[in-house]
Amino acid sequence: MRDRLSGSMLTVGVVAVGVAAAAVGAVMSLSITATSAQSPALKTPWGEADLQGIWTDETDTPLQRSPKFANQEFFTEAQRAALDQERSALLRRDRRVERGTELDVAGAYNALFMTQKRTGARTSMIADPANGRIPPLAPAAEKIAAAEREFRLALLQSTETCKNKSVACSGGKYDPTPSPLRAELPPRSNTARMNRHDGPEDGSLADRCLTGGLPEFGAATGSFRRIVQTPGGISIFYDVGQGQGWQRNIVMDGRPHLPASIRQWYGDSRGHWEGNTLVIDVTNFSSKTDFQGSRENLHLVERWTRAGPASFEYVVTIEDPTVWTKAWTVKQDFTQQSDQENRLYYEPRCIEGNYGLPGLMRGARMEELAYAEGRGPHPATKDNATDFVGVEDDPLQ
Amino acid sequence: MRGRYLGSMITVAVAAAAVGAVVSASITQTSGQAQTTRPATVGGKPNFSGIWQANNEANWDLQAHAARPAAVTQPGVYPYEYARVPAAPVLALGAAGGVPGSLGVVQGDGEIPYKPEALAQKKENAEHWIDRDPELKCYLPGVPRAMYLPYPFQITQSTNKVHIAFEYTNTARTIHLDKVDGPPDDTWMGHSVGRWDGDTLVVDVTNFNDRSWFDRAGNFHSDALHVVERFTLRSPDIIWYEATIEDPKVFTRPWRIAMPLYRRVEPNIQLLEFRCNEFAEEFMYGNLRKQPLVKHWEGDTMIVDITRKVPPGDLFYQWYGR
Repeated sequence: MRDRLSGSMLTVGVVAVGVAAAAVGAVMSLSITATSAQSPALKTPWGEADLQGIWTDETDTPLQRSPKFANQEFFTEAQRAALDQERSALLRRDRRVERGTELDVAGAYNALFMTQKRTGARTSMIADPANGRIPPLAPAAEKIAAAEREFRLALLQSTETCKNKSVACSGGKYDPTPSPLRAELPPRSNTARMNRHDGPEDGSLADRCLTGGLPEFGAATGSFRRIVQTPGGISIFYDVGQGQGWQRNIVMDGRPHLPASIRQWYGDSRGHWEGNTLVIDVTNFSSKTDFQGSRENLHLVERWTRAGPASFEYVVTIEDPTVWTKAWTVKQDFTQQSDQENRLYYEPRCIEGNYGLPGLMRGARMEELAYAEGRGPHPATKDNATDFVGVEDDPLQ
Repeated sequence: MRGRYLGSMITVAVAAAAVGAVVSASITQTSGQAQTTRPATVGGKPNFSGIWQANNEANWDLQAHAARPAAVTQPGVYPYEYARVPAAPVLALGAAGGVPGSLGVVQGDGEIPYKPEALAQKKENAEHWIDRDPELKCYLPGVPRAMYLPYPFQITQSTNKVHIAFEYTNTARTIHLDKVDGPPDDTWMGHSVGRWDGDTLVVDVTNFNDRSWFDRAGNFHSDALHVVERFTLRSPDIIWYEATIEDPKVFTRPWRIAMPLYRRVEPNIQLLEFRCNEFAEEFMYGNLRKQPLVKHWEGDTMIVDITRKVPPGDLFYQWYGR
């Protein structure tokens, strides 16, 4: 029972995205040198670096590096070609698990719904630490993550998913007795899908049309940005997830961040130019957001540098001492898309067509009613949360 | 080439220096450490960049209307239309739930030229405002409504695009000044193509769906809606905004609204978030909760009972109860 693509780049843990896998080839050159030799065409008429246009990452790169590639920052051409060949087999995949099972129905989105692009040059988006992996969690964050895992597994424990030892139940065990945690609140404000739909708060942010935030590295359903500049101002529209686009206006006049009491889903962005690089400092995130476990203390420093006639480099340093033992840095390269074709149709209308969230809740109420009337199984035995158990199939991830 | 007061009377300035063909004049604001330079023109055209907001009652009702006690009313003790009183869904708001009056923004005779069957639809919409107005569900506002919602919006004007970001539900529209293909589907916010008529920005907006409204009074349109907007800078801090509305499925002729949009001149103004789909969840999905927070649902219908407790120490009630 699963209505929408989750689009949650946070939980899928992956990423890189896009829209048109078309012109992928030579466009993506990683020998991009940032600020050197800017041609006049890369400046706006008023003399700032020109970041304007529609941009997307035209390749797939995992957020974290596979241990297979250890301290290798870039793939060799031979490795990329091999990965592309292996991954091209996934394009027509209609992945099924055992017919007639809940998981089979829940995974009803086949490869057609997903964007699959050429393998990128980098072995991971994470450029620092040198091993391409997210730094270890701080002890307090480790504890909360474990509590979250335990809570979610408890809600699954009586289901077929655990009985069949699905990967979705890894770390948990099957127990036909429903967990008493089904009646409890999760360890902290929920942001991810769980096997319970008592109310909207039990839904994932994606299911509630509340995903889309920073940092944003794309998702399997596509992503791009539209940047428009004016002297002393810059506006960035993000198209992410399924209709979960959002708008960002960078305050560029040097004033301090918002008061700490004002917390926002997208944080508070303060930008300035360092030569041809737009540097944006982002703070004031809301506790309702979640990026890899980081919430209100998340601090980002982004650097947007026009790199070539059709490219810019995005570098973001991610910091939260309450979550990670050190700061880490992600690099992503974007390619300009045709402005005239404007084919990257965007309008953030997720909630306007959200039948998924009420469907999950109504379905749960019907299961409860059926059980109460002796027509159906105990609702705790149903898995209404798990999907895409097969993302691990992509050898790149 | 203009000066204005900022913050506590610090002022400001004016830099009329010609800086080339593109930036012909600029103004420097100073407030604390903040500094902004906004040239008067971009690409030789008036610069509309900045944060703006309508300051009128158009979102309540585009047409002239007297103030009334609430958005949802019921018959009072006198059997007259003008004697209606607030109804339960908004009663607890007291006078804060009142609807301010307005002389309206519809030009000419002030009438919206509905076809007869469409007029009946409009009246029915108004009666079912709570159930039908897309604003209550946090749906996209459409154009022109986005321009006069009671929330600020920010214009970022470049030479080939004019981008407008709205505080309401974090949405946006891009006005294309350059050649661009149309969208592959109908939209809430329309497809905006702009051109300059002298110093006026004229925007042709098409490709609408039929789902947005013009206001909280039930004024509506079909997917044949065509809007032509005109943005003219009347002074550095006022845009005169006009929109001609054409929809042969709903109206007998084109009609026009007009209003000023005001610059938000506070030195610390910035768009904040109004991510209302979260705010609308209880309204839209509360009936699907395992344990409803609103205690009284009849199927999908929310029945609102009002309980108002007089706080201890409320002097008026103490006096009244003696």
